[in-house]
Amino acid sequence: MTQLLEIRDNIKVFFSKYDVFIIPVFKFLLALIMLIMINSKLGYMGRLNNAGIVLIVSLACSFLPTGAILLFGSLFSMGHIFALSPEVAIVVAVVYMLIYLLYLRFTPSESLCIVVTPMLFVFHVPYVIPVVMGLVGGPASALSVICGVIVYFTLHVVTQNAANVSGELSDILGQIKLIIDSLLGNKQMLVLVAAFAITTIAVYIIRRLPVEHCWTIAMISGAILNMLIVLIGSLVTKAGISFIGILFGSILAFLVGKVIEFFRFCVDYTRTERVQFEDDEYYYYVKAVPKMNVAAPDKKVKNINRSRKTYRPEPEKTPEEELEEYYEDEDMTIADDGSEE
Amino acid sequence: MLNKDRVMLMTRMASYEAGEGKKHMDVVRFFKGDYIAVGIIKAIICATISFGLILGLYVYYNFDAFMSNMYDMDILAFVREVLIKYAWFTGIYVLITYIVCTIRYNISRRKLKRYFKNLKVLKQMYDKQ
Repeated sequence: MTQLLEIRDNIKVFFSKYDVFIIPVFKFLLALIMLIMINSKLGYMGRLNNAGIVLIVSLACSFLPTGAILLFGSLFSMGHIFALSPEVAIVVAVVYMLIYLLYLRFTPSESLCIVVTPMLFVFHVPYVIPVVMGLVGGPASALSVICGVIVYFTLHVVTQNAANVSGELSDILGQIKLIIDSLLGNKQMLVLVAAFAITTIAVYIIRRLPVEHCWTIAMISGAILNMLIVLIGSLVTKAGISFIGILFGSILAFLVGKVIEFFRFCVDYTRTERVQFEDDEYYYYVKAVPKMNVAAPDKKVKNINRSRKTYRPEPEKTPEEELEEYYEDEDMTIADDGSEE
Repeated sequence: MLNKDRVMLMTRMASYEAGEGKKHMDVVRFFKGDYIAVGIIKAIICATISFGLILGLYVYYNFDAFMSNMYDMDILAFVREVLIKYAWFTGIYVLITYIVCTIRYNISRRKLKRYFKNLKVLKQMYDKQ
């Protein structure tokens, strides 16, 4: 454990030291992965499938605010869908605008969650996000998770119906109806929206409880709750969600939660102290749980080959010389007649 | 000589000033009523645009039905229904905005108060020296 704590502290020091470089690199990689995913999953517009454009946009995202990743992601997906069918692009644009106007303008910092959630769906591990957001976010993060799920399913519905919507222009209304019906009638989406929202809020509430091991309890109960809601919802609505996927996803959610706990909330419950005191108005029952910390090893570098200076004692000064030095330090001069100026 | 407590306090304050503090100062430079009023005006605009988009999509979706029933339908009743739904939609959104803005203003004010208190402590530290 001590070694792990040392590694954690070293990582923290490293991040705080080089965050100027690490954050842009992280943003660049996130934008790059997102754009590659969009191009591989949608990829209807040939011009946007260019590696050069992807790299340039990712580079731009690395020094722009985090919201830019979401902006470019939505522009790329819109571009592809526009190439497929301009009418469907209108539907997708309306979804994006509603998300921005009704929710995202309040909390632009949550845009990262809306970017990451669809990406986790592509990696088949979406069950991680409600547990993680419950641990690191607030109750409002449930809305971000919902928006992420809606964005993923909007794009998913378009790709599923790509062959039907790219037909003749005469059936414009049919295309729009098909997309809206597929989206609103998507039982899988409805089940996941409900499960993720409830799980995020439950994890948040449990981790804030004043009980020991609240973080661990929160992530375990969150993972189980998520699993149960998805399973029951899937059975009731016949949404056809894979049980093995939920199981692995929940285990992964717990593991990711443990990693986050290690970095953000590592406390030693064995050394808990309870103190009681009072003042004129109140009694105080205070429970103090110490953080787990290790002192960073103090490394001293000793140069062996360096040439040593031999110690030479300074010659003793005469009283006159000492006095002269004193006056020099005090910025005074001695006049010829011996008076100070 | 370096005063460890002072350096710690200054670091904490500088970090607040550069991060959260900026947002809080932007909020608290308004009076509470003004801040909430601006939030509500923005909310009404956003709710109106959102409602318009949803309505547009709804009409587009049911375009065939609208065209076929154009001469039979009671347009006044339809407009009334739309306006009632718009009022509900905007009302609920404005209420949520009011709550969010109030909470946000109170938090910003409380944190800035703490910041100014720390400034006083820092001044006292300098005076003591």
